[in-house]
Amino acid sequence: MRDEEILIGSLMDSSWLTLEQLAAACTVEPGWLLRHIEDGLFPHAESVAGVWCFSSHSLLRARRMRQLERDFDAVPELAALMADLLEELDELRARLGVAG
Amino acid sequence: MEFKDYYQILGVPRDATAEEIKKAFRKLARKYHPDVSKEVNAETRMQELNEANAVLSDPERRAAYDQLGRGYQPGQEFQPPPDWDAGFEFSGRGFSPGEAGDFSDFFAELFGRTRTAHAFNTGQRGHFQARGEDHHAKVLLDLEDAFSGATRQISLRAPRIDAQGRVVLENRTLNVKIPQGVHAGQVIRLVGQGAPGIGGAPAGDLMLEVRFRPHPRFRVQGRDLHLTLPVAPWEAALGTVVTVDLPQGSLRVRIPEGAQSGRQLRVRGKGIPGAQAGDLLLDIQVVLPPADTARARALYETMARELAFDPRQQGRN
Repeated sequence: MRDEEILIGSLMDSSWLTLEQLAAACTVEPGWLLRHIEDGLFPHAESVAGVWCFSSHSLLRARRMRQLERDFDAVPELAALMADLLEELDELRARLGVAG
Repeated sequence: MEFKDYYQILGVPRDATAEEIKKAFRKLARKYHPDVSKEVNAETRMQELNEANAVLSDPERRAAYDQLGRGYQPGQEFQPPPDWDAGFEFSGRGFSPGEAGDFSDFFAELFGRTRTAHAFNTGQRGHFQARGEDHHAKVLLDLEDAFSGATRQISLRAPRIDAQGRVVLENRTLNVKIPQGVHAGQVIRLVGQGAPGIGGAPAGDLMLEVRFRPHPRFRVQGRDLHLTLPVAPWEAALGTVVTVDLPQGSLRVRIPEGAQSGRQLRVRGKGIPGAQAGDLLLDIQVVLPPADTARARALYETMARELAFDPRQQGRN
């Protein structure tokens, strides 16, 4: 790539990921994602006219859950519970940062 | 290249069983998990642990590592002999080439021959097609970048497959245009900047997770900006209009009469810009002038006499 070449990215949330794109981004099979969605482990997953679309929030959650399942042999429900707690931790840390 | 003692990293003896290795990894993974660990080097340690676990939890890699590393000490200069891996077959399971970007040169040198590399190197090329993997990285921005947009140079370490079909770690620098309105936690997607595809398939994408450096004045929550706004007692009591400097430009804000410390003023749409712009939240903080001159003391004494104000009265009622 030339030094002066400037790459222009798209902001996720204004551009959503499909199920296949999210699976590729997390190095999981689409079936892994579908099973987790069907089991209610992705509360923010949205389906528009039968097509799943995912935000950056889902991307971070899916990566966390996959790592927890891989590193600790966690069952999906436990990985989801941990992801819930870590998201709450993120939220509380953000609030703490705002409080100064 | 320095030799890495994976057994020492996981704190297990060389004759540890698979179960002992798994247990040691989990114990340390819990300690150094980047989301919860308070250790300063947690992220680096976690990468080391993942790398050590990727080798020692895989019987093929562990056997090869044991044979090759016999007699070496951690940190000792190390160069594997040519064709040292003849007779071993590595399936590349347990981690992806994308994740190998976080691993050391030592790992890449020893275990770079993955299925992906194999596919590049053999007759599968041209017949077998697979999209390249997506890569992930974090990008640290200044708050000002979210207001004006910016072009940032980002240095990344990513695995690449060389002419011999081995995975090597390569440093590359990208010039990335940061769009206006980006906020913390958001992901910028750079299409085609991930791992190269196989057999003419498209490359993967690069996902950059946005983080902000701490700002000396503003605190950021999602798209909203928080700012502590110091005001003089008479400004708070009588109301006034003050100028607030923003990351881009400034704003005149009316402080209502009778404002108290702790009260929050919300200025809609003046946070991080975008289709759904955030708000600016001003936390009022009444600051007392010091009674450090005779004139100042006299003014306070007049107030004490004339106002008959007891701030603790409210708490008693």
